Amino acid sequence: MTEPRSPHDFAGFDIPDPVRLDGHTIEELSAYLDAERTPTNFSIESSPGCQIALTALTRLRELTAHTLEVQAAVEPAPPDSWVHSIMNRIALEARTGRDIPIAHSAPTAHLTMTEGAVRGMIRVAGDSISEVIVGRCRIDGDVTVPGALVTVAVDISVAWGESIPIAADRAREAIQRQLSKHTELNITAVDITVQDIRFAGTGTVAGTSRQ
Amino acid sequence: MATKATERTPSPTAESRHDGRLADADDRVVAGRAADGDPQAFEVLVRRYSTLMRVYARSILGTDDEADDVVQEAFVIAWQQLDSLEDPGVVKSWLMRIVSRRSIDRLRARHEHQDIADYDPPAEAAAAPAQAAQTRSLAAAVGTALASLPGEQRRCWLLKEVAEYSYREIAADLELPESTVRGLISRARVNMAREMQAWR
Repeated sequence: MTEPRSPHDFAGFDIPDPVRLDGHTIEELSAYLDAERTPTNFSIESSPGCQIALTALTRLRELTAHTLEVQAAVEPAPPDSWVHSIMNRIALEARTGRDIPIAHSAPTAHLTMTEGAVRGMIRVAGDSISEVIVGRCRIDGDVTVPGALVTVAVDISVAWGESIPIAADRAREAIQRQLSKHTELNITAVDITVQDIRFAGTGTVAGTSRQ
Repeated sequence: MATKATERTPSPTAESRHDGRLADADDRVVAGRAADGDPQAFEVLVRRYSTLMRVYARSILGTDDEADDVVQEAFVIAWQQLDSLEDPGVVKSWLMRIVSRRSIDRLRARHEHQDIADYDPPAEAAAAPAQAAQTRSLAAAVGTALASLPGEQRRCWLLKEVAEYSYREIAADLELPESTVRGLISRARVNMAREMQAWR
């Protein structure tokens, strides 16, 4: 999870000369790190040279992850055709979830709607609010029993600069309206959790987007 | 009579409108949504991480030609298993573990347990902005050090330090004794450090 950082973070990669390791070797220090510095070696721990070397060796971990990120950042993005071939391979498997019964006047009719379809409805409803993007949603309660009490928990992302309470309220109302219009679920609450504040085109507060 | 309303594919106009916004959302939101079965969100993950996964797979495999296949396979598995991921916020390291596993399976299929001589280290960025110059050159130095490691050392090192495998997991997956894995990682660290001394 190493993000590209200021060059200064990496300025101090330093392995002292063998003479400054107070009789220890790099091999020995590496093995000591692998043993998670136990049992404590007082000779190593009290040597300034060894401490500098241990710090540098420890930082090789983040440097490695960082290096892969830098290499990825200068590689070309995958061609659309390649992305589409993945999307075509996954398209066959829909995530349907539980079956939610729907009442029908004909006694012989057995009508259901899938949980996946209801989630899709929640996403469309939440996304209809311009500053909101719906993340994961959870439908709690025994939806397979008609009339059972059901709560819906929805994660959302809100655009930077918008009022978070207003955005959450608008998303909740839109979701409630859609669900009461298109399903027979007995919704007792729509709980909204704001998971993310996002900046357009520049990644997010959480900094997960690649530059 | 049984009628089932399965999840309809949203009309392109309805959701492609949001593609740009979705790409700005963080991993937790995007992966959570993909776990719920939204292909558009999954596509955002593919575009966000496939290059990093390819760089990583190439480094594990030692060659470029299978890396794209491995990454594709990893994404297909990810789609199937995404709803089992408890915290969608860790999707990146979760993807790295899947691509590790797929890469190792490839190696095993190749019966390849020796070093690979034909590894072609990625070229350094041509023109780095002044501010990033030092980071870039350090990254290039680490890249060179990594590429110069013998294959098994590099593999163990990447599994441990990038995919965050335990020694035991590496030993099991590579079918090596745990003591051998410890030795390989320790030697990799020493070799990397030696190469890095030149950079300083």
